[in-house]
Amino acid sequence: MKEDRNNDLTWWGTFKLDIEKNKEWHIGPLKLIIKRLKNEWQIAHESADIFDSMDFSWEIKDTEEQPNIYSNNSRYILHDITGQLIVAPRLADRSIVSRPHIPFNLAANEEIVLYVSSPLWIDLNVGTTHLKSIAIQRLSDTWFGPSTLEGEFCYASTTHCRLNYDDLPRRSHKAITPVLIRNQSKTTLLLERLNLPIPLLPLYTSLSGQLWTPQITLTREKDGDMAELTINNEPPTEIDSVELVSEAREKLHDNILFRAFNTVFS
Amino acid sequence: MNNLWSDVINFLSSENIWILIRACILVVVGIVIARLVSSTLIKLVSNKIDNHRLMLIKRGSYYLILILFFVSALRELGFNLTVLLGAAGVFSVAIGFASQTSASNLISGLFLVAERPFTVGDVIRVGATTGEVLTIDLLSVKLRTFDNLFVRIPNESLIKSEVTTLTRFPIRRLDILIGVAYKEDLKKVRATLDDVSNKNPLCLEEPKPLYIFQGFGESSLDIQYSVWAKREKYIDLKNSIHEEIKNAFDENEIEIPFPHRTIYTGIETKPFPVNMIGDTK
Repeated sequence: MKEDRNNDLTWWGTFKLDIEKNKEWHIGPLKLIIKRLKNEWQIAHESADIFDSMDFSWEIKDTEEQPNIYSNNSRYILHDITGQLIVAPRLADRSIVSRPHIPFNLAANEEIVLYVSSPLWIDLNVGTTHLKSIAIQRLSDTWFGPSTLEGEFCYASTTHCRLNYDDLPRRSHKAITPVLIRNQSKTTLLLERLNLPIPLLPLYTSLSGQLWTPQITLTREKDGDMAELTINNEPPTEIDSVELVSEAREKLHDNILFRAFNTVFS
Repeated sequence: MNNLWSDVINFLSSENIWILIRACILVVVGIVIARLVSSTLIKLVSNKIDNHRLMLIKRGSYYLILILFFVSALRELGFNLTVLLGAAGVFSVAIGFASQTSASNLISGLFLVAERPFTVGDVIRVGATTGEVLTIDLLSVKLRTFDNLFVRIPNESLIKSEVTTLTRFPIRRLDILIGVAYKEDLKKVRATLDDVSNKNPLCLEEPKPLYIFQGFGESSLDIQYSVWAKREKYIDLKNSIHEEIKNAFDENEIEIPFPHRTIYTGIETKPFPVNMIGDTK
């Protein structure tokens, strides 16, 4: 069947399914089967328990397998004549906490750009109807805050944040976020953990299918864990010819003070 | 009959009628003003204060104003208030002695509402009873236990004793007590436990799981391994992680021993004599 997609380098795009036809996606640990019936769409998925996030591959194929071979099943009743399934990548629904491989000190009046990658969700839509959102990789829950009494729920990133752009592996099931950290306080910042407000970011794709978010700037003006958060309105400069893939889950209206660093637990 | 009628007419045409009318007007005006003031107060502060305090303010202001107007009406009618107050004083002492517990409950309830250790919807544990708070009333707090029973707890006992609010903080720690056999390598046990908690997505990565060596037990090495979870996921984590620890220990051949007793036959090194009786098939 004819596929209308961005390009062959991506697992997302618009796919046409005929009635009584099934299509299967394998993206990293996620296995997904979608079946179209006359007035119904069926979605079934399963995730592998063990997944080596450095060795990523994906595959899309037509299949005779039925959705009931996977454990998570859902059915959607829709009167749709086009058969166009829109598969879109989305960023995480919570903030993500990541760490540098070895904690480093950022002296007063210094700044640095880090690159953090975060796993993606798959959004399945038919026309304007949203069917389901599925996480490609289930991340571990974690708590980020000054104590066990206050803070926020986040995901713990499985990868480290990196200083060198070239060290960054390019994987199309993850989005890259450049983070500019400015230490404008009088004390050195020991960076052990970094909390990023991923739901506030939109998602862009480069020509090669690598997904990026705009740059975030965290300005630390006083001692402590708080920083002023600014999100660039434009796509990141590290890539050319970008296309907006999805909007931010939540909008940031003004610059806010955000708890971005460390937090020490006893 | 005629006398009664002429008495009534005399009364109606005398000065006293105006006093009576004034008194009635005072009472009626008092009711109207009390209602007005209490509902205005409610509208002003309803956004900032929860339902119980709101109710207290509403009732309190209503009755206060009503009593003021009522007392003025009584003075207008010519009652000697000093006598009334004296009688009221004696009456209230008598009532007070009779209703000690209820008064104590009432006052405890006021303190509870002011202090707010818990609100409607929280889950609390009082003594051996755990349940969800349905209402906080003047004299008591009503709970629904998890097996769907209705429990009434007097406010007085809540003020006097320890109350645990289970739903106050967002995350909760699960303490897992494990005993491993004396022959086991503790480094390997710790690594296995850390591996299990890393893989379980419900187990929070931070705060980090806590490993404490509790002591050299009678039959095993006693370890406490504490992991954190989102409060709502506490039960899910408890079930999944115990199962995962058991599986991981089985895979790594780490033994959780049964209680041991060692029996000696007098001379330590000689084994127990055992005789087989019957067929050995």
